[in-house]
Amino acid sequence: MRITGLETLLFGLDDVAGAARYLTDYGLEPARVSETGGRFEAIDGTAVVIAHQGDPRLPAPPAPGCRLRKTVMGVAEASVLDAIEAELRRDREVKRLPDGSIESVDDSGFAIGFQVSIRKPFSLAGEISNAPGGSVFRPVNHLGAIGPDAAVRPRSLSHIVYFVPDVLKAEAFYVNRLGFRCTDRFANVGPFLQPGGSLDHHSHFLIGAPPFMHGVEHFTFHFGGPTAMMTNGYRFIDKGYQAFWGPGRHILGSNWFWYFNSPFACHMEMDADMDLHDASWTPRVVDLKADNSQTFLLKFRKKWMPGPGIPENGDYA
Amino acid sequence: MRAVPLCPVDAIAEGAARGFDPDDDGQDTLFAVRTDGVVRVWRDACPHAGAAMALRKDGYLNAAGTRIVCHAHGAEFLPESGHCVQGPCLGRRLKPVASDVNAAGQLCVLIP
Ligand SMILES: [Fe+2]
Repeated sequence: MRITGLETLLFGLDDVAGAARYLTDYGLEPARVSETGGRFEAIDGTAVVIAHQGDPRLPAPPAPGCRLRKTVMGVAEASVLDAIEAELRRDREVKRLPDGSIESVDDSGFAIGFQVSIRKPFSLAGEISNAPGGSVFRPVNHLGAIGPDAAVRPRSLSHIVYFVPDVLKAEAFYVNRLGFRCTDRFANVGPFLQPGGSLDHHSHFLIGAPPFMHGVEHFTFHFGGPTAMMTNGYRFIDKGYQAFWGPGRHILGSNWFWYFNSPFACHMEMDADMDLHDASWTPRVVDLKADNSQTFLLKFRKKWMPGPGIPENGDYA
Repeated sequence: MRAVPLCPVDAIAEGAARGFDPDDDGQDTLFAVRTDGVVRVWRDACPHAGAAMALRKDGYLNAAGTRIVCHAHGAEFLPESGHCVQGPCLGRRLKPVASDVNAAGQLCVLIP
């Protein structure tokens, strides 16, 4: 089951225009957008798709209050779709949709889809740090800071985090039926899961939670590096959006993070520089606590500089 | 009791909300909502995790202006009572902030 990762997340909500503005402000590219919904793409074509919550074409959410209506994953080739269809048909319905993708539901009630991956290959250097003694440097006269007029765009749909009522059952489905691996785990909380066709630390993270939490905690796109991610987050706050957590750097996965409130009944994150792992990696198991969740945590602050007029004892706090 | 003025009460339209930062914390800590003509002021802190609730500046309501929404996890509250009717803090309530309108028509919060 060579699943390559997330391709599309489909949400149903009441304020389509507000969500469209939000996703555009986040940096995604509007594609095929109307008053009833639209598609918002990262550089590689992975996307968030939004529609009105009353749209009858949307699959049911896993629980009331959850606005995620479907998670579409990619596969390398059509034969994998056939294999997934055969596997899932053993105990559940699987639909073939007109676009050739398949649709079913996971063991936690989340609608899932699979398609031959539409990820567009692209080549665009990520952030490179000039480190004394290092072997990779930015070309001479190339600037590290992102200028005020330079656009920052999310590169690729990264991962989603589900609140599930039965985390063992939820994990077993992805591992035993779809060939995901656990890369790391928060004890008594849940696993980070990596699909068989990806090296990213995780495409899914599952959190065992009471039934009234059933839904999504957050989802995120990869950015080109910490500078791109923080420049984009800073601009997002300038546009009036509300940060929730970050910026900081996680320990499991090493990804830089910045979480924001969103219209999707969950957070939307910006992330950068996630670890890659293969099957030789031994999963870590750590307790869930603040010290194990981040190497450091920073907080937004308005631009400031030292100079005349600052208080006698500084202005750091 | 000290009355701290926030804005002209008429500046908050029916079915609209507005956030305030009266202590200059660098982000809004209170918000006011007008429903059925009445302006009520609430702490900008979701009973679920104490999270700041807005989507963007002044964005505290659903599209129809009929529910207060926490945009951290989608909890929904009745604007008349502050009771959570959907989401992780179901049955709990937003913290009301005592308020008044002064002779000049300014919406004020009353700080003990
Ligand atoms: Fe994340």
